[in-house]
Amino acid sequence: MSSHREAPEISKDPVADSTDLYAFVSPENNGTVTLIANYIPLEPPDAGPNFYEFDDNVLYTINVDNNGDGIADIVYQFSFTTTLRDPSFFLYNVGPITSLSSGNWNRVQTYTLSSLDARGRVATLGTGLPCPPCNVGPLSTPDYASLAASAVSTVGNGIKAFAGQRAEGFYVDLGVVFDLGNLRPFQGDHAGWSGTGLPAMAAGVNSTKGVNVHTLALQIPMDQLTRDGRAPTSSTGTIGVWTTASRQQVRILEGGGGGPSGMVSNHGQYVQVSRLGNPLFNEVLVPLSTKDYWNAQPPSADSQFAGLVSSPQLAALLPGLFPGVFPNLAAYKKLRADLLAILLTGIPNGIVPGFPGNFTGSVQADMLRLNMTIPPTATDQASNLGVVGGDNAGFPNGRRVFDDVVTIELRAIAGLTVPLVDGSYTPDPAAGAISMGLTSGASDLTAMGTENYLDAFPYLGQPYSGYNAVV
Amino acid sequence: MRRLNRRQFLQKGSLAVAAAGVASAVPGVAGLLSEEAPALGPETSAGADAAVPSMSEALVARVTDASSGEIEMYFGTSSTTVRDPQLAARLVRAAQ
Repeated sequence: MSSHREAPEISKDPVADSTDLYAFVSPENNGTVTLIANYIPLEPPDAGPNFYEFDDNVLYTINVDNNGDGIADIVYQFSFTTTLRDPSFFLYNVGPITSLSSGNWNRVQTYTLSSLDARGRVATLGTGLPCPPCNVGPLSTPDYASLAASAVSTVGNGIKAFAGQRAEGFYVDLGVVFDLGNLRPFQGDHAGWSGTGLPAMAAGVNSTKGVNVHTLALQIPMDQLTRDGRAPTSSTGTIGVWTTASRQQVRILEGGGGGPSGMVSNHGQYVQVSRLGNPLFNEVLVPLSTKDYWNAQPPSADSQFAGLVSSPQLAALLPGLFPGVFPNLAAYKKLRADLLAILLTGIPNGIVPGFPGNFTGSVQADMLRLNMTIPPTATDQASNLGVVGGDNAGFPNGRRVFDDVVTIELRAIAGLTVPLVDGSYTPDPAAGAISMGLTSGASDLTAMGTENYLDAFPYLGQPYSGYNAVV
Repeated sequence: MRRLNRRQFLQKGSLAVAAAGVASAVPGVAGLLSEEAPALGPETSAGADAAVPSMSEALVARVTDASSGEIEMYFGTSSTTVRDPQLAARLVRAAQ
């Protein structure tokens, strides 16, 4: 997946597991940028009585680097507080929740949003900010859209904030990806296909359909993100973004005399246990033994992983998995400078015709890089393939909710983007044909209508209702 | 407006926690433990009472290397490492 359950240890700690990160110029408000970080992968909508929530003991951050050193210049931190309005009651709600102050809502979560700027100044942007409840069902949360809308807060510095449940917006066909890379549209050419008795082609399956996530979303005036505090220009307009989750080092399950049985206490400093910049970086490029280590590292230390990017294991495997399908890729022995640029430094101006680039300098750091001077693309002209589809407002120039990032990255790894840096290379036709099979084409921004994206903040759709959970 | 670097920002946890000064209590505790520690046992506990500050929450200690006396301590939102071979030895003996 993008980053869902991507490392062995963090997969056991879903409330701290980052799943997706988005950064884009807000289409309805062009003076701002929207940053979205999702956590808690694959939430079944009907998972009561303890519906999903952020963890009070996890510090969640969205980080922005505006000078290209891979070190955060601005940190937005979310810390949560959970309260029970009626500790004696046994359920999440006692009746319909028609407002965030409803006495029928028993287990309530609020958050404090703080920021740290490049000068080391800490500001509390908001306290007691409301999260919406989970979408329990039509009897419990009868007007969920209004309820969620009332949980959008305008906090200090004109920043808009939201923290709560949303429909999963990321789409992927996990079955084919993890079944030995059985990629569309050439499953029939897979080395292991003969004898399965299955048809060579089948419709794509959206593995994340019908599940929810928990979203941290911010809409921030651009001049608060540039290093000079002014509107973005060609020299100041590109930022690098990543999200992290941190936990205290020690967790004690009480019961031995130190505290009440059944309770948990946490001690010590916070250490980073999850991070995410570009989708699939940790999932696809980093070995299993190193994934949790990667999660604990800062982007500024990512040069240690550069070899995994310049010689990706998957690119070496594809020709063997699909004999005769990727001959040019098989013959290509150079380091993958295209992937190093896309994922670790940004793409310099002049590499992609018409794209001013999002290069941040020589420091190799996995960050989602957004050139804020590039305006959003009108919906009727947008491509879910982003820059490789001729749409410079999409991935890897930031990432929008509808971008087909799995298809884009798989095509890149398969060699489609090599000519950007090496004119002597001709991609295999198959590299440009890889598809998740979950959209009708590059202009399809709906992922077959399954994600219910919104036109405005926080963009990710209303969460699936527990009552209507997809079976 | 207070000034922190990013690591301090995370170590402080929520600003409410930082404002309460929990983390700032750690150096005192670390200093106490790294000094010549009294032997464990009832005969010394009374004498030590006067020097032990009050604690609002538990302090967790981990002896990571008894031979060098390295002890990691977790208190509030801070972690501290001290070296005290005698204390480490007493803790190991007490745990066995």
